[in-house]
Amino acid sequence: MKPKPNTSEEKPSLVPPFVALILSLILPGLGHILARKYRKGLTLLLAFLSAAGLWIWRVTVVARREVGFAAMFTKAIRLEPILILIFVLLVLMYILIALDAYKSAHISKPNSLLLWVTVLVAFFVLGWQIGEIQPAVLIRNGKNSLPLLMRVLWPWEKAVYYPEELLIGSADVVIPCAGVELETPKLEADAPYLTVDPTCGDLSEIGGKEGTRLKVTGGNFSPNTETEIWWVDQVRNEFRYRYGGDYVKVTTDDNGSFQLDVVIPYRVIPTQGEKGYVVWQLEARQVASIGKPVISEELKLSVEKMVETIFLGMMSTFFGVILSIPISFLASRNLMSANWFTKTIYMIIRTILNIVRSIESLVWAVIAIIAVGLGPFAGILALTIHSIAALGKLYSEAIESIDHGPVEAIQATGANWLQTVWYAVIPQIIPPFVSFTIYRWDINVRMSTVIGMVGGGGIGYLLIQWIRLLDYQSAGIAIWFIAITVAILDYVSSEIRERFI
Amino acid sequence: MLEIRNLTKIYDDGTVALRDVSFDIPDGEFLVIIGLSGSGKSTLLRCINRLIDPTEGQIIWNGIDIAKLEGQDLRNVRRKIGMVFQQFNLVKRSSVLMNVMAGRLGYAPTWRSITGRFDEADKQRAINAMKRMGITDQANKRADELSGGQQQRVGIARALMQEPEIILADEPVASLDPVLAHSILQHLESLNKDDGMTILCSLHYLDLVQRYSTSVIGLREGRVVYQGNKQQIMRMTDAEFKTIYGEEAERMGGITGEIAEQDITAAGEEIEL
Ligand SMILES: Nc1ncnc2c1ncn2[C@@H]1O[C@H](COP(=O)(O)OP(=O)(O)OP(=O)(O)O)[C@@H](O)[C@H]1O
Ligand SMILES: [Mg+2]
Repeated sequence: MKPKPNTSEEKPSLVPPFVALILSLILPGLGHILARKYRKGLTLLLAFLSAAGLWIWRVTVVARREVGFAAMFTKAIRLEPILILIFVLLVLMYILIALDAYKSAHISKPNSLLLWVTVLVAFFVLGWQIGEIQPAVLIRNGKNSLPLLMRVLWPWEKAVYYPEELLIGSADVVIPCAGVELETPKLEADAPYLTVDPTCGDLSEIGGKEGTRLKVTGGNFSPNTETEIWWVDQVRNEFRYRYGGDYVKVTTDDNGSFQLDVVIPYRVIPTQGEKGYVVWQLEARQVASIGKPVISEELKLSVEKMVETIFLGMMSTFFGVILSIPISFLASRNLMSANWFTKTIYMIIRTILNIVRSIESLVWAVIAIIAVGLGPFAGILALTIHSIAALGKLYSEAIESIDHGPVEAIQATGANWLQTVWYAVIPQIIPPFVSFTIYRWDINVRMSTVIGMVGGGGIGYLLIQWIRLLDYQSAGIAIWFIAITVAILDYVSSEIRERFI
Repeated sequence: MLEIRNLTKIYDDGTVALRDVSFDIPDGEFLVIIGLSGSGKSTLLRCINRLIDPTEGQIIWNGIDIAKLEGQDLRNVRRKIGMVFQQFNLVKRSSVLMNVMAGRLGYAPTWRSITGRFDEADKQRAINAMKRMGITDQANKRADELSGGQQQRVGIARALMQEPEIILADEPVASLDPVLAHSILQHLESLNKDDGMTILCSLHYLDLVQRYSTSVIGLREGRVVYQGNKQQIMRMTDAEFKTIYGEEAERMGGITGEIAEQDITAAGEEIEL
């Protein structure tokens, strides 16, 4: 082999190519390492081991119930054929690594494109399997979930409803006519009523003579409403009146009255009791909406929680700003480089800010809930803490990027630290501070809509609750409110920004 | 009398900006400091009011060593030394009036100055200072709305508020055109002649140096390489100028163009340290 003088890897391989190949077959990557391609060897070793490990893990996950790896393997590839593909890729990777080891021990810079592509493809196919990505499911189930989705997208039927009432007017009918006089019940003046004429008659006979035809008059019902006619027999058996096989419906006129002929139907149950007659009731029933539309409990709750959410975002921004301003001064290098003491403070504060900022607001919410219990206060605490860290950094960077000239000029007049900050630093940082504050307010209101999902108050709490109860319409109301609020917020914050800067 | 004794400044990165600089400035002098870019002019001026801490040496003024002062003592000295900058260093988003008032901060109690309540005497001083510099009409404008010449006059008005005994001017006219440069330097000259203030000013143009200075210091690589009084300055030749500015330096400033044609063999009063 010819060493190439002007490449960085001039040193010859420790082993001949063939040995590198064999070693690589024993442990992928080992051949490269002994060919002095340390980094490449380690990378390939790690890549192969982790890909193989992941594959084994997925096989055992898919075929959990089988005993023994062979059984698991057959079961797993039957359930998830994609696992075969990964297996093939692993084998290909294994072979390519070995071949590459051979080449690497032979020439200093072999073309390993195919190898790296194989490694990448293997990991992406693994990712596809681990992520349980199934586009077919999206298409198949997507169609079925459309009605549910519609309820989320258009939930307003649940927001406002009209209270309904069942109006019933009834009249007694004596069967057959036995000359009995029934008392007419006393009704309130405007209660729905029903009268029949005559008040007695005979049943229809099956396949024979039609029963008595009654002239029925109803009044005091709600106007222009569909009304059903029902019979209630002597044993309180209810059945809806049909004529010629169809249910009979009648619609009230503008005054809430109607007129209708009703033929007494047939019945199998003998009508003769001890008295020789029975009393049936003829009823007219209608479902009528009464009164004004009523705002649903869900809508009220959503509004309440939305207000809570907006204020949650506002309060946490407020506290965040108030507390982060002094902190940001202590966290800016240019103001804190006077001596080792201030430099230490600067370092400590910077470190704390970075740590706090790297923890998500939702995690802070969980911590705050442990400290102060469920509710908006926990949410405010969480968002405040995160705001302080985030704003503290942004503000201090704004302070660090100010023009130092005016600061020197003010110092040169004999001003002290506070005066210098007040006259030379503050005027320069107002525009960036305003814009960062609006930006944070925006984030906080957005965050406060979801912080409720872990129990930190606000509308997120309702949303997650309703989703768990599969009450998609109510969830839809909450989502609408969130969307509307965020849209308004977007508009308002961009307006303010434009005005100020 | 301001006495600079063995002043040395070595920056944190090891750059030696001043090497053992010593000279005296009698009261009422208009001292101009010349020297190539990077020769240490700014460093020297900033050491005097301690915007930069010198590494070694003394700056003795009225019997006290400014180089050793800390805290309130330092601020009390600073307020007697005004400073004017090349980039004006105004607070751009503040009004002209606020920029001028800021010159009084060294005298005002902290709390009162932060709440913006300056006393009547201070307000009168501001009015006078602005009137003297001809910027009264601009009092309520934002500083960044002013032209360069106007901004520099605000800078001088700010220094005037300190009722200083010394004014340090670090290339006060380098960002201005020649006409404005003369106007600004005339203001400084008036402060020097009429009010008896000592002026320490760094300049680049020989014609301006000859026109305004009463004595000159030349710096090169942190060393004093030239010292001259008014007569010597008026006789200063290109050769001397080049000793200070280096062989490759071109003389700037059209007014003294005829001097540039002169022979460069004549040697002046230069001193080599
Ligand atoms: N903060 C600093 N840290 C390190 N080196 C510095 C610093 N300030 C200036 N210097 C160096 O000190 C030397 C003198 O700089 P100084 O600014 O005093 O020169 P100057 O004569 O004012 O130049 P100019 O005419 O360009 O303003 C230069 O070499 C410069 O690079
Ligand atoms: Mg300079």
